[in-house]
Amino acid sequence: MIHFLAFAIKRAIQGFWRNGVMSLAATITMVLMLMLLAGLLIVSSSLQVGLDTIESKVEVLAFINEGVSEERVEGLRADVEALPEVASVTFTTKEQALEEFRATQAAAGNEDLTRITGTNPIPAKLNIKLKDPRVFGQVRETLLGPPGVVQEVIDTQETIDELLGVTGVLRTAGLVILAVVGLTVLLIVVNTIRMAVMSRRDEIEIMRLVGASDGFVRWPFIFEGVLVGLLGAFVTLGLLALASQPIGQLARVLAAHLPPGFQQNLTQQVIGVVLGAGFLLGGLGASISVRTYLRREPGTG
Amino acid sequence: MPHDRLVAMTGVRGVLRSLAGRRDAAVLERPTQAARREPLALPGRASERRAWADAASGARRPSVALHGVSKTYGNGKRALVDVDLLVPEGDFVFLVGPSGAGKSTLIKLLVRDELPTSGSVFIAGQDLARLKRRHVPRLRRQIGIVFQDFKLLPARTVRENVAFALEVTGTPGRQIRPRVDRLLALVGLSDQASQRPAQLSGGEQQRTAIARAMVHDPRVVIADEPTGNLDPLISWEIIQLLLRINEMGTTVLMATHNAEVVTALRKRVIALEEGRIVRDEVGGYHRDY
Repeated sequence: MIHFLAFAIKRAIQGFWRNGVMSLAATITMVLMLMLLAGLLIVSSSLQVGLDTIESKVEVLAFINEGVSEERVEGLRADVEALPEVASVTFTTKEQALEEFRATQAAAGNEDLTRITGTNPIPAKLNIKLKDPRVFGQVRETLLGPPGVVQEVIDTQETIDELLGVTGVLRTAGLVILAVVGLTVLLIVVNTIRMAVMSRRDEIEIMRLVGASDGFVRWPFIFEGVLVGLLGAFVTLGLLALASQPIGQLARVLAAHLPPGFQQNLTQQVIGVVLGAGFLLGGLGASISVRTYLRREPGTG
Repeated sequence: MPHDRLVAMTGVRGVLRSLAGRRDAAVLERPTQAARREPLALPGRASERRAWADAASGARRPSVALHGVSKTYGNGKRALVDVDLLVPEGDFVFLVGPSGAGKSTLIKLLVRDELPTSGSVFIAGQDLARLKRRHVPRLRRQIGIVFQDFKLLPARTVRENVAFALEVTGTPGRQIRPRVDRLLALVGLSDQASQRPAQLSGGEQQRTAIARAMVHDPRVVIADEPTGNLDPLISWEIIQLLLRINEMGTTVLMATHNAEVVTALRKRVIALEEGRIVRDEVGGYHRDY
């Protein structure tokens, strides 16, 4: 068994070098496909995480018009709180809202422009937390019910819908592209191994004549395909490692607050998926090739 | 001067001396006279009858047996028609006949490269039609095959060419070298072990191929025109080697057009014409009578 493995691996490596140009072309296409795969994985899981984060923070904001009396605001608040889909409602006065605004601006390192205006331009608001972030029910209608109280209602439903749309499109487009590139890679591997089989025709003939079992004839070629796949996977992972800094930033942009361990999980996922895909595509392509070009049963006619 | 040239210069006589004591030896010197001296070898298909009888009595097991074998190819060409053939273990048999007579088809059937359209083929007691695909390699290891065009791997040395047959059949590495050394000594190529086929003479290349055919100690050696590409003297050298292998107990079946060799050796000759056995007797290349 060990002898067989050593033989098959040695022959696979020999075959890879002997077929240099084809092997290289196959490896490069493999790298391109695996890059696409990894990219799709990174973007979609970052988006997913971002989406989850947004959903967990979902709240409806109702900005109150200038000069509306506190009683009316309190009344509205009570109405909204009575709705079954609402978890809690908090009121933020103009002053509190200004403080919040200043705090976020300072945290972001921006200059506080509100100091220039002299008056407070930030409106008071009601923050409504929902029990289920996707069920808005009558919240919006209730808030806009009493005329003149609420200036504007902002809910994240639209944002979430848009994000969902974007991720959906990205995922579908990505999968289509991935399928096309994957098929191309498969065909290239099939062709590469076919060339390897052809270039070893004489050896295969002799192997069969001297009584080599099918395993000895076939497995070196399958290993050669796997070699192309794994080499492509390692090159891909190497390139990704080099680009990990910008990728990390990209992920952070897509999902403002990444949960702890996210990057590590993603890294593990990417490594697994890239290695697995390379291995499978290489092996599958080679098996198809070997099955097609090495099959020969003696006929009776 | 290469070793085999020296052998070649001593020529037929050298070969003969090595065969001294054999019944055929005297015949070799003057084949045509010999043929005249022994006009009647064995009439008809007596040798075949004898072989069947041998087999029936259990005296010698047949290493090759064909019963009513016909082979018709997909294009309608009838390559073999109702062939019966029995080769007892340890025999040396010539297979002669014009091109297209069915010699190559017969050989393909013997190594299970093809299956007969009807009839059955046995090698060392195994019915090839019933042999499972995964057992074909085991069969091939019991048969050594030698071709006119040697079929050596040009990028490998003599030693590597012979070792290749052991490597690809899963022989443990440390067993390979001694076995290859023994075989190279048998065919007289120990000194050329590290040369590549292109550096060798035709005779040396064929001896390499014979060494490779012998790696698994086959019961049967099938040689398909092994001297077809070689000049007469070198041909004798190859024949001598095959005779030696035969003396060691291996059945040898040799397809050839080499009339001189066949006529000189007075071995069993099976003549094929248009897919049928037209002659099976101890004798010369041509009908003696």
